[in-house]
Amino acid sequence: MSKFAIALLITVFGLSACGDKEGVVVYKQGSYSGKTDGKPWENAAFAGDKSKWDNSIRARGQNQNESKRIGD
Amino acid sequence: MLIKKSSADSNTARRGRLSRSIQGTSYSAQLPEAIDRRTFLKRSGVGIGAGAFASQLPFSMIDKAEAMGSKPKGSDAVEIKRTVCTHCSVGCAIDAEVQNGVWIGQEPVFDSPLNLGAHCAKGASVREHGHGEMRLKTPMKLVDGKYQKISWDQALTEIGTKLLDIRKKSGPDAVYWIGSSKHNNEQSYLLRKFVSFWGTNNCDHQARICHSTTVAGVANTWGYGAMTNSYNDMQNAKAILFMGSNAAEAHPVAMLHVLHAKENGAKIIVCDPRFTRTAAKADQYVRFRSGTDIPMIWGILYHVFKNGWEDKKYIDDRVYGMEKVREEVMKWTPDKVLEATGATEEQLFQIAKTMAENRPSSIVWCMGQTQHTIGNAMVRAFCVLQLALGNIGKSGGGANIFRGHDNVQGATDIGPNPDSLPGYYGIVPGAWKHWAAVWGVDYEWIKKQYASEAMMTKPGITVSRWIDGVLEKNENIDQDSNLKAVVYWGMAPNSQTRGKEMLEAMKALELLLVIDPYPSATAAMAAKARKDGVYLLPAATQFETVGSVTASNRSLQWREKVIEPLFESKPDHVIMYLLAQKFGFEKELTKNIKVTNNEPSMEDTLREINKGCWTIGYTGQSPERLKLHMKNMHTFDVKTLRAKGGPCDGEYFGLPWPCYGTPEMKHPGSPNLYDTSKHVMDGGGNFRANFGVEKDGVNLLAGDGSASKGADLQFGYPEFDHVLLKKLGWWDDLTEEEKKKAEGKNWKTDSSGGIIRVAMKVHGCHPFGNAKARASVWNFPDPVPVHREPLYSTRPDMVDKYPTHDDKKAFWRMPTLYKSVQQKNKDVGKEFPLILTSGRLVEYEGGGEETRSNPWLAELQQEAFVEINPRAANDRGIRNDDWVWLKTPTGAQLKVRAQVTERVGSDTCFMPFHFSGHWMGEDMLQYYPEGAHPLVRGEAVNTATTYGYDSVTMMQETKTTVCQVVKA
Amino acid sequence: MARMKFLCDSERCIECNGCVTACKNENEVPWGVNRRRVVTLGDGLPGEKSVSVACMHCSDAPCMAVCPVDCFYHTDEGVVLHDKDMCIGCGYCFYACPFGAPQYPQSGAFGQRGKMDKCTFCAGGPEVDHSEEEFKKYGRNRLAEGKLPLCAEMCSTKALLGGDGDVVSDIFRDRALKRGKGGEMWGWGSAYGKPEPGTKKPEVKS
Repeated sequence: MSKFAIALLITVFGLSACGDKEGVVVYKQGSYSGKTDGKPWENAAFAGDKSKWDNSIRARGQNQNESKRIGD
Repeated sequence: MLIKKSSADSNTARRGRLSRSIQGTSYSAQLPEAIDRRTFLKRSGVGIGAGAFASQLPFSMIDKAEAMGSKPKGSDAVEIKRTVCTHCSVGCAIDAEVQNGVWIGQEPVFDSPLNLGAHCAKGASVREHGHGEMRLKTPMKLVDGKYQKISWDQALTEIGTKLLDIRKKSGPDAVYWIGSSKHNNEQSYLLRKFVSFWGTNNCDHQARICHSTTVAGVANTWGYGAMTNSYNDMQNAKAILFMGSNAAEAHPVAMLHVLHAKENGAKIIVCDPRFTRTAAKADQYVRFRSGTDIPMIWGILYHVFKNGWEDKKYIDDRVYGMEKVREEVMKWTPDKVLEATGATEEQLFQIAKTMAENRPSSIVWCMGQTQHTIGNAMVRAFCVLQLALGNIGKSGGGANIFRGHDNVQGATDIGPNPDSLPGYYGIVPGAWKHWAAVWGVDYEWIKKQYASEAMMTKPGITVSRWIDGVLEKNENIDQDSNLKAVVYWGMAPNSQTRGKEMLEAMKALELLLVIDPYPSATAAMAAKARKDGVYLLPAATQFETVGSVTASNRSLQWREKVIEPLFESKPDHVIMYLLAQKFGFEKELTKNIKVTNNEPSMEDTLREINKGCWTIGYTGQSPERLKLHMKNMHTFDVKTLRAKGGPCDGEYFGLPWPCYGTPEMKHPGSPNLYDTSKHVMDGGGNFRANFGVEKDGVNLLAGDGSASKGADLQFGYPEFDHVLLKKLGWWDDLTEEEKKKAEGKNWKTDSSGGIIRVAMKVHGCHPFGNAKARASVWNFPDPVPVHREPLYSTRPDMVDKYPTHDDKKAFWRMPTLYKSVQQKNKDVGKEFPLILTSGRLVEYEGGGEETRSNPWLAELQQEAFVEINPRAANDRGIRNDDWVWLKTPTGAQLKVRAQVTERVGSDTCFMPFHFSGHWMGEDMLQYYPEGAHPLVRGEAVNTATTYGYDSVTMMQETKTTVCQVVKA
Repeated sequence: MARMKFLCDSERCIECNGCVTACKNENEVPWGVNRRRVVTLGDGLPGEKSVSVACMHCSDAPCMAVCPVDCFYHTDEGVVLHDKDMCIGCGYCFYACPFGAPQYPQSGAFGQRGKMDKCTFCAGGPEVDHSEEEFKKYGRNRLAEGKLPLCAEMCSTKALLGGDGDVVSDIFRDRALKRGKGGEMWGWGSAYGKPEPGTKKPEVKS
């Protein structure tokens, strides 16, 4: 990160700290500290089966390849 | 082309399509600029205007999600309903995800051989229909200048009484019925029947002002008035010439096939007065003066003949009258072509060479060619070019005529046409008797519904002229009464020319009835023009009912019902039935059709169509066969459209008409018309014998050896009837049952289908005979197409050299002017020096009320505009985004934004035709029913368009007129 | 492991805005917020080119680098997402993004910026998959249905490709090979920091 960007960052943070929304979020500089997201295959449809999900994604990818459907 | 509405007082405000303003010659040099923040801010819609606009909308992001009932796909079961996009004629399939009766998701159908899952903006937005707020929700009545909600009962009673009253007073011809290319096949067919039982031929629909010149021109050239090949087949072309078509905006998914072909080496050529989005994808682009398509085509054909590139054997065997064409063409030397069109010898030579050296080569045309006073001749000139190159009846060749609306092909084939009963049978007594038998009603009863037998066999007024049917002096029109009532049943008024006069016509009516899912500009115009006498009935969309739809390539697809009709809307065929009840002929209307809760069965209706439409092969497509195709899309090959294995093995997708004979005969449909390389039972064919067997001593039948593959008759032959069968000794191939019905009949009227079966299945012959195509159509005003200047031309020198037709007296019941208008306006170019033309934008469709009511689309283009060349703009002190007045000789003036762009030449202005809701500077918001106005409103180009009609079909001239533009 | 990427083939893009509308449809994004849009260069002139632009889900994402509250994260599939509950709507990511992807709905009477909104690659956000909460804040989670972004899946000419980078670049490479020219795709280098797939030495496929 450039010094300029850091300077800007501090300015913005400084400003937001002065705003009326205090304590919007607790965060740690430099790393994501929001809610954790699940894996796309960890749901009812795939029941944690990653390879099933991979196959589905690969097949959908090929749907965008009209040559595959046309056969040339 | 996203442009957000910005604050009106800002000079940097972008109107309409933001991206259109980023101009430059070097692609890469523009990149940093294209994504800079300034540009982006404007584009991102954070501007004041956008916010103000957004606040009009009834939803915030979260509220909206709730309001629409949209939910994540949770635990409740999701049903998949397969339907077809209702916007253009490509026929893109859609899988709708429905949960608890709510349309929650839209998935691409990758299996569809037509669109392979692809959609343009309109197709990607259809789910909005499932919860759109901006619809007509209840029946309404205009009271004291304001629309008031009324009940269906009250509406139907009052409308029924008034119409019957008018009928009694002024006769059945005093009511004009405008049907719709948005109706499905069954509804459009029922509407023709409905209007017949009302007792008039005064009915029409969008095709009149869309491709009527094509249908007449092409059918008279080689047999059927339809696209010969398919979007898919264009993948087999080695060169494609677009003229008067902007497929990238009007038929975007067609470009999937076109660009795929291009990548496989096909050369793309675009000739157009505008450098269109399609032109941007072309290998060759030629700009020419609007309205000079014939000199352009003859200019190309000149080089074909000069270099001996014509297909001589093909012409000898399969074409009549080419030598007469040649005489006319060779008059168009390159200097004359340049003078008329602005295109150079070198440009046209290159096109001729490309088309000749890359065969099979294909052509595409749309409204750019059809909407002219000589549209019928322009389209025939294009056909002749293809005949000369031997490209018709060949895969990869053909005349790929892209139709506009999703079912304009179907409505043309079997819908409300003023000059024909379903299936192009015409309106002669024989046709009436054929259909009376199919309908199971007495011919004499129908006759009694009409004013007289003469009126029953006289073509009705066309939709392009209904306004004159109201306003013209009574002694000048070819029917007893002027029009007293008009029914707008799924059509936009702003798609017809002479809008200013239309307002006057609306004023003069006794009753105006609008039946539409969207309130439509008709409602607003009517409320502006009058205080009462207007009714609005909410129709359901095609997603709220079932039925079949015919794509441009003649394939039929069956739509499932996605959701129940919203608000108080009813499907069109239910409304038809309810009105028929008021008129007392509901039993006759549905003799062979089961009716449940006032809803005629669409399946039964299609079965009735199957029993009558032998002429064009709408007989093999039973509902069961169509439904099977919809379920097995993945088995169809994309390039040939033919199923490989599976339950539809050997059939072509959607059984493209002609699909001859009974469903049991299992004709596979016809992928490419007139293709002699295939057996007729494999979808092969040849040119139709519809014009006799000889003309002035010249044989019209096809040459020896020129017949469809495997035909028992390997030479030209006339169409089949009982006499020919007997002469050939084939009569006994009929079963005894068939013989009884076929006796005295021809292939078009034999209700057993036996004549067709014997000709095709037993002997491999074409039931409509085997003849030559006609390069010279002797029954038209100009048998060989000749150039004639538009009525309003900026070139008096050209008017002198290429004058228009003489005036006509009783033409489609109307006096129709040509020369007198042209002469009176010969010097109109002094005051109105710019050519005015119009066309489509990708995000809107037709009159645009439906698409401009859809926020996902409306956001894309928020203002009407006129494209003007920088040179013309600078001469007038106009800068990009200025408000301007566009004025025309009718006295109309439109207030629109100026889009200063090189897209148009310095002599031409372009306006999109999808806008309405502004009237010569006034916002008509107050005239719409409350809460049912389109989100985006603007000036309709047709408020200002001028007089001019095709000399065969009464197509309106929209593509070449004149205007002046001044700073507002 | 799939590494999700977008690629827009400008030889194919016809500026039909199918992708823009598909996004609106699937994610119910409000008027004025455009997660995706189409930019046309040299409009109306020979050489006119269009590209569809949204968040490119960069490998080394500048938005992540500048965010003062660190609300961004990379999923294992390489999708750049953010937690709207943390976002303060400061607009920093907007300055940093080379593609102009971040969007800010207006909120309140004075047009303050709301929380940043951007393309999620139809992968929802940090809420329970397919929950009401996820849909309201981030839109549809197609990835969790085993599907790809609707914009790419619905593209009218299959110009916009989205999915596993290897699959996407294979499709594009085959096309480029057929055309005999390549590289007319846009943004790949900036977003993913690798050579553009069209310029790779093509393998000869049987």
